[in-house]
Amino acid sequence: MNFVLNLSFSDLLLLLPEIFLTCWLCVVITVDFVSPQMPKERLAYLSVGGLLATLGCLAWFDVNQVSGTLFGNMFVLDRMAIFFKIFILGSTILVILASIEYVDRFTLFRGEYYALVVMSALGMMFMASANDLLSVFVSLEFSTLGFYILVSYLRDDLASNEAGLKFFILGVFAAGLFAYGISLVYGETGKLVFSDMASAPATPGLIIGFLLIFAALGFKIGAVPFHSWIPDTYHGAPTPVTAFLSIAPKGAALAILLRIFIVALGTFKPIWIYLLVAVSIVSMTYGNIVAIAQRNIKRLLAYSGIAQIGNVLIGLAAGTKMGNDAILFYLLAYLFANIGAFAVVIAVSQAIGRDEIEDYRGLGRRSPFLAFSMLLFLLSLAGVPPLAGFIGKLYIFIAAIKEGLYTLITVGLINIVISMYYYLIVVKQMYINEPVDPSPISISGSMKAVIYVGLAGTLVIGIYPQPFTEWVVAATLMFANFMTPAATVSPASLLVGS
Amino acid sequence: MGEYALLYILFAPFAGALGLIFVSNRQPTLVRGIAASAAFVSLVASLYIFYGYDPVQGGFQFVQKFAWSKELGIALYLGVDGIGTPLVLASSILLFAGIFVSWHIKDRAKEFYIWLLILAAATIGVFMSLDLFFLYFFYEMSVIPMYLLLGMWGSHTKKYLEMTDPEGLKQRDSVGFIFNFGSNSKEYAAMKLVLFLSAFAVAALMGILLIYKFSGLNTFDILVLREQANLMNIPVLGTTLDKIIWILVFFGFASIAPIWPLHSWSPVGHAAAPAATSMLHAGVLMKLGHFSIIRVAFEILPETTRELMPIAAVLCMFSIIYGGFVAFYAKDTKYVIGYSSSSHMGYVFLGMAALNYISLSGAVIYMFAHAMATGMLFAMAGWVYDQTHTRDIPSLGGLSNKMPFISGCFIVGCMASIGMPGTVNFVAEIMIVVGSWNKYPLQVIVAMLGIVLTLAYLFKMMRGLFYGPMNQKYSHAHDAVGTVDRLPLLMMITISIGFGIFPMHLYDVVRSGVDPLIARITRVVPVADGGEGVEGGRGAAVVTERPSLPMVSNKPISQGSEVSRGGQE
Repeated sequence: MNFVLNLSFSDLLLLLPEIFLTCWLCVVITVDFVSPQMPKERLAYLSVGGLLATLGCLAWFDVNQVSGTLFGNMFVLDRMAIFFKIFILGSTILVILASIEYVDRFTLFRGEYYALVVMSALGMMFMASANDLLSVFVSLEFSTLGFYILVSYLRDDLASNEAGLKFFILGVFAAGLFAYGISLVYGETGKLVFSDMASAPATPGLIIGFLLIFAALGFKIGAVPFHSWIPDTYHGAPTPVTAFLSIAPKGAALAILLRIFIVALGTFKPIWIYLLVAVSIVSMTYGNIVAIAQRNIKRLLAYSGIAQIGNVLIGLAAGTKMGNDAILFYLLAYLFANIGAFAVVIAVSQAIGRDEIEDYRGLGRRSPFLAFSMLLFLLSLAGVPPLAGFIGKLYIFIAAIKEGLYTLITVGLINIVISMYYYLIVVKQMYINEPVDPSPISISGSMKAVIYVGLAGTLVIGIYPQPFTEWVVAATLMFANFMTPAATVSPASLLVGS
Repeated sequence: MGEYALLYILFAPFAGALGLIFVSNRQPTLVRGIAASAAFVSLVASLYIFYGYDPVQGGFQFVQKFAWSKELGIALYLGVDGIGTPLVLASSILLFAGIFVSWHIKDRAKEFYIWLLILAAATIGVFMSLDLFFLYFFYEMSVIPMYLLLGMWGSHTKKYLEMTDPEGLKQRDSVGFIFNFGSNSKEYAAMKLVLFLSAFAVAALMGILLIYKFSGLNTFDILVLREQANLMNIPVLGTTLDKIIWILVFFGFASIAPIWPLHSWSPVGHAAAPAATSMLHAGVLMKLGHFSIIRVAFEILPETTRELMPIAAVLCMFSIIYGGFVAFYAKDTKYVIGYSSSSHMGYVFLGMAALNYISLSGAVIYMFAHAMATGMLFAMAGWVYDQTHTRDIPSLGGLSNKMPFISGCFIVGCMASIGMPGTVNFVAEIMIVVGSWNKYPLQVIVAMLGIVLTLAYLFKMMRGLFYGPMNQKYSHAHDAVGTVDRLPLLMMITISIGFGIFPMHLYDVVRSGVDPLIARITRVVPVADGGEGVEGGRGAAVVTERPSLPMVSNKPISQGSEVSRGGQE
């Protein structure tokens, strides 16, 4: 491990997005303290401005193929990290825009809400770049800290408190497992950086260590044996936080899972493939079947999220470059559909005050726009052409069939049909049933913007996926270089336009 | 237009649907105008490709290819051959007619037309896809509009699913009572349709993915796959891979056709759907099944098709007889027509199963002919329902006084559906029957019986609706008088009779698509195989000598009409 202590300015350039966002976070908090009378809406736009600037910076990195590692391989900036950072920032921006109205429900600390969201995003950006077990642990806890608070932000709501407590206890438990796993892995190999572990022999201690780490990350993404916190937390948390929780941490945790499974454990594929196949099958089937019984739309989306993660794990089980591409592509499709669906849930709950599926009766008459958007988002989640979700699912299936995972694909295909049932139940309430109260629903401008972005993403990716497939293929191309330890870029080397 | 004709046909309805999003429901004329003009563009372009298609040259024409995803090997690859061309024409005719049939829809007309246009465009997309991915893409896309059309503008099937025999005793039809759990709601019908079709569609998708993997070509291009894919003799699970793929593809797509044990979603869906949707559903959506089987299984796995197609020959008998009997006892007009459709689709399977030039051409022409005939019947059943708000045959009667035009057209529709000489259905039926006789005599006898049954239930329904004593409750019912109401019916009648009298161009076009396909499938026929040898020999003679076609098709016609008359008595 070779620490380069004399960081040059060009090294810090790799950290520029994080540094900038940290400063901006301080600005947001300071502005809130300095002028408490200011409408909180402005804070939201201030945060969005900072996030957009960071996004622009990352886009510039992506175009110019900036890459490199820092701090003795602890922090890596490759195109996959950039992809995940853009993914996280995009979802954060949409979540903040979607929460502007909702924030009025909080009795206290409305200003800090935005700061906490940005802070969690910052933590997740570090997760996307984490390249050894220590930095994974630190950044994971950093981002989760913000979420612990955000989930229980509705102080007077018992459900929200319960959600926070449940999330906290299980989250800390997962963190404990993670730390224990790290200690075992370090004890067995003496290494922390993923790419250094690639040649380690499979001792029992190492396997148990990685199983513990997988359990902790499985908790983050909500795969089945580790999913028990998801429904209650999603249900009780403020809806924008639920939307955030259902997208960004999953993306960040998947970045880590990809690095661990492909880089650190690439040689053990014949062993872990069984683990992933089992978890994937159970997640898909359990998530979809239990979702049928749900009466609350947030719980329905929670279970559907569990099932979607099962789908993503098919791509991970494929374990090839194409499987990784498919995961990234699927996440993009999932981002737009899921954030859009939650935006509709927020808009409806602002108007009606509840979010039971029953309350969607006759939404097609009350607000054709909301109903039509929800229809497209749900169909995209179900995987119906010509929407993004269909291409995502197909991409994953193609990647998996090339590796011969027939059982997994069969289960995945059957699950598409099961999931169609409960999504169509919501569609039925919206379109077929007549409304009890036919008064139209009004939507605020920022909410409309979020829904339009969701619609645009869902349709454009579905109808013309070529630029997006090129993007994800390029994103894992750099990552593929990191798959072989020899190709690791030496510290302090900055490749601009190479 | 010229070479871009397929793009006009496919994207005009999509463009129309997109345009309708920005129009308000408060301008009904504009809404209908946009929908009708989109459908009109599609219709004109399909007429252009139908008459512009060169049967002598054959093969895929009007080809368009755009790379869509290089990583996955997908291209938007459109083209029509002799099989796709008439079906594209049928789809756009039915779309155009369907828009006029639903002219009087008041509730959310804009949304109705949007989904109708998307449904039709998706089916058209299947008929012109030369890429397995896009074939599945459009296939699956056509399912969801059906859910909304049934759910939002459909009607409950009420107690019509209960059927009585002439003595008034209840008939316990398996479909009405076992598979439908006694449920009569349109929501149930819509959900059943979507889940049924999706469940079987994913089976077909599995087959497609297996083709993709084992061909090893990294492409979904049907033309490349059929030339280069070698899927034979790969042992899997005690059988060979090609059989597994074939079974997946066949049953995956046959469910929409609908072949006998998988048909139960279809009549219920017809009964719940609004008129224009039933027209498209029975007219073209069901043909997606046959067409996709021809495009995927016949093209890519010709040898397996020869081996396994007898499955279809067995199942089609049950389709024909079962559908016919249920239609005879049903009391609901749409239920009768729906079951008659699923019964008639058995003929198409019979024509496909015999695997020779005459019968397969007959099957393709039958798909076109049936689209027209059943489209008419559903349009008129819809008209009667709009006027009387019931589809219960026993409670109707004597409507011919009130609606002479409709009852006149209904007779033509029934005649076409039966396969009366002079309609294009006759040409098709005769070809299927004559073509299959050597190979499947039993099935042909069953098919003849099916024609008798068709006659029985359609006459029974006609008498029940239009003749006999009139129910005074429906004295306010009136005829179709306006151009808008008469146009779709007259159009379909003209086409049905026109092609019945002058089938030559249709026949030539279809033959140009069928010939290379049959040549591929029968390429390795052992000489000892008597029945097929004879058929193959006749077909080969026909291929070499085009001018002799009319004689070949004339001879069977005289034979066949005797048979059908014999059945009538």
